[in-house]
Amino acid sequence: MIKYLLLIPVLTALFCVIARTEKQIQTIGLVGSTATLIVGLTLVIDVFKHGTITTWESMLFADAFSAYLILITSLIGFAISMYLIGYMGRELKDGAIDLKRLRIYYVFYHLCIFSTLLVGVANDLGLWIAIEMTTLFSAPLIAINTKKSSIEATWKYLIICSVGITLALFGTILTYYAAVQVLGEGAGALSWVSLIAVADQFDPTLMKIAFVFILVGYGTKAGFVPMHTWLPDAHSEAQSPGSALLSGVVINCAVYGIIRFHIITSAAVGKEFSSSLLIMFGLMSLVIATPFIIMQRDHKRLLAYSSVEHMGIVALGFGFGGVLGIFGALLHMFNHSVTKSVLFFAAGNIRQKYGTTKIDPVSGIVKSMPYTGPMLVLGGLAITGSPPFGIFLSELTILAAGFMQGYIIISTLVLLLIMIIFAGFFNHINRMALSTPPEGITVGDASKWSLGAMMILVVFVVMLGVYIPPQFSDMIMQVVNIVNVVR
Amino acid sequence: MSEIDFGSGLMPALIALILVSTFMLLGSKRLYTCVRAFGFQSFLLAVVAAVVAYSTGRSEIYVVSFLTLIIKAAIIPYVFIKISRDIGVKREIELYVNISPSLLIGGLLVVISYYLAQAININTQLSNYALSVSMSLLFIGLFIMISRKKAMTQMLGILIMENGIFLGAISLTYGMPLIVELGIFFDALVAVLIMGIMVFRINKTFETVDTDVLHTLIG
Repeated sequence: MIKYLLLIPVLTALFCVIARTEKQIQTIGLVGSTATLIVGLTLVIDVFKHGTITTWESMLFADAFSAYLILITSLIGFAISMYLIGYMGRELKDGAIDLKRLRIYYVFYHLCIFSTLLVGVANDLGLWIAIEMTTLFSAPLIAINTKKSSIEATWKYLIICSVGITLALFGTILTYYAAVQVLGEGAGALSWVSLIAVADQFDPTLMKIAFVFILVGYGTKAGFVPMHTWLPDAHSEAQSPGSALLSGVVINCAVYGIIRFHIITSAAVGKEFSSSLLIMFGLMSLVIATPFIIMQRDHKRLLAYSSVEHMGIVALGFGFGGVLGIFGALLHMFNHSVTKSVLFFAAGNIRQKYGTTKIDPVSGIVKSMPYTGPMLVLGGLAITGSPPFGIFLSELTILAAGFMQGYIIISTLVLLLIMIIFAGFFNHINRMALSTPPEGITVGDASKWSLGAMMILVVFVVMLGVYIPPQFSDMIMQVVNIVNVVR
Repeated sequence: MSEIDFGSGLMPALIALILVSTFMLLGSKRLYTCVRAFGFQSFLLAVVAAVVAYSTGRSEIYVVSFLTLIIKAAIIPYVFIKISRDIGVKREIELYVNISPSLLIGGLLVVISYYLAQAININTQLSNYALSVSMSLLFIGLFIMISRKKAMTQMLGILIMENGIFLGAISLTYGMPLIVELGIFFDALVAVLIMGIMVFRINKTFETVDTDVLHTLIG
């Protein structure tokens, strides 16, 4: 099953290479993502019903945590591939890109989906390779524009993330060394399970140093402050489908990597060490993102800084720990992915209609775009954590965990920052959505494909605020049991 | 873990030479010399891997050694020279930090790495030695990235960091499982290719490969 899941995106990319017309490329892309979604969901259900799956001499491995990541990836990946048809079709019609670039975009999009799925199923050491691949394959999605700023963003992205990921490799090797000292050289491929089983015998100093390297390394990719500098550039300069992929999918992969090592480090040296580091980075991300959100002039950068903020909140949730904190953090990962994707889709529609990503010249979206407008407002409300949407619930859970675990000052500070961000963020959305559209803007919305993709995700945004299906919460509880090793 | 018996005299010399090659790179203003120094360093790494393979009797490490030789000591330097010829980049490297302070900082980084490596419990003298050099390469690579202006020297910085990690991996754990090593080589190669393409794009768009010009996206 895992093999098919990995094979489908690669095959889709290959078929896109040989496709001749726009129509063919779009059809292949959509069929490929639908197949990925179906196989992905089957795998997810399989894992939650029957437990861990391993194949290929246990190099590939899927437990509940992997399945959760695969669920997010395949769902968002499917929505993006629908959105791609509408968005890229329009770009092609406007002459912004040609067929060759469209093909390149599709090929790398599906390769990127492949690498993000690989992050989920890679066992231990392979994880590093997969996360590095997500960087390499997503870079062309940013560089598809030939604008100077896009080139600059891509170069920053490549360089900063490569350095980060190299540091993470060093951390991975130190972990491997710690394991080899206990298990002996013949251990061969180590699995997450076998590492955790012996983690309490690891050399504590070694493991602490390893975790710091891992956290700084993958934290660069996750956009933790102060390693976040590439993120607003890359996420805003990419075309909207690419931005949604980076913010909704790729960023989660890095967090997943950190948490995998957080589990091992907790088992080796007790959970205070890695938890307090996670809380520190989470809080820093929140503090630094706030002024940038309030003062922002570009609506795509606004969304990018909001990603920094939300990854901070996720880190805080995992850092607070306990069943409640981890549950909240996991739920938040899902909620953030769907909500942020809706918003980036809306941002793409706005850019195509108004021809700008600046906030000031944009107004009256609700009037000029009867579908995108309301969904933008709804997404804006949801992402800032207002009830009754999913993010409200997950933020509440994380804060409750913070107060319960005795982090009173930090939790109060977080609450305060979230409130400030709400005001600042929604102020921007307000200005864009309401009042009258500028002259020369006619009423008319994006294509059905784009709107359809948004609507699918909006269903999750709304539903998870009022009702979490018991199957879904069972699923998250299984993941919580994996993460929460040291009780 | 068993001590390497064969080449126990050879290994420290090789590792020391790797450090020397890093300083060759740090102390040169000519791009080609830098690329050659990198190629030499990769060659030395391949030899280290071969020595480890011989003394531990694990044949898959020979594959790693061979791949290092092909990819890092031949293909990647070739790609570098080709890119710089094709875009007609100036031979001189421009620096933010001049050569002599660079060398001093490099020396300081080596000392720091030595003390950091002491903090980690490593059971053999040789591994300890290798780890401190490995960390030195990591830090010096990082320093090269932030102190040089050209896009290509930033790529070189990353590759030096990677070489450092490779040295650490091969001498601490006698290499990781082969499939993982293969993946890492694949990633390094793809990274160089994609960054190479980006260097072309930067050159085409900005008509220079000085990364100074990349400073418009702020706030």
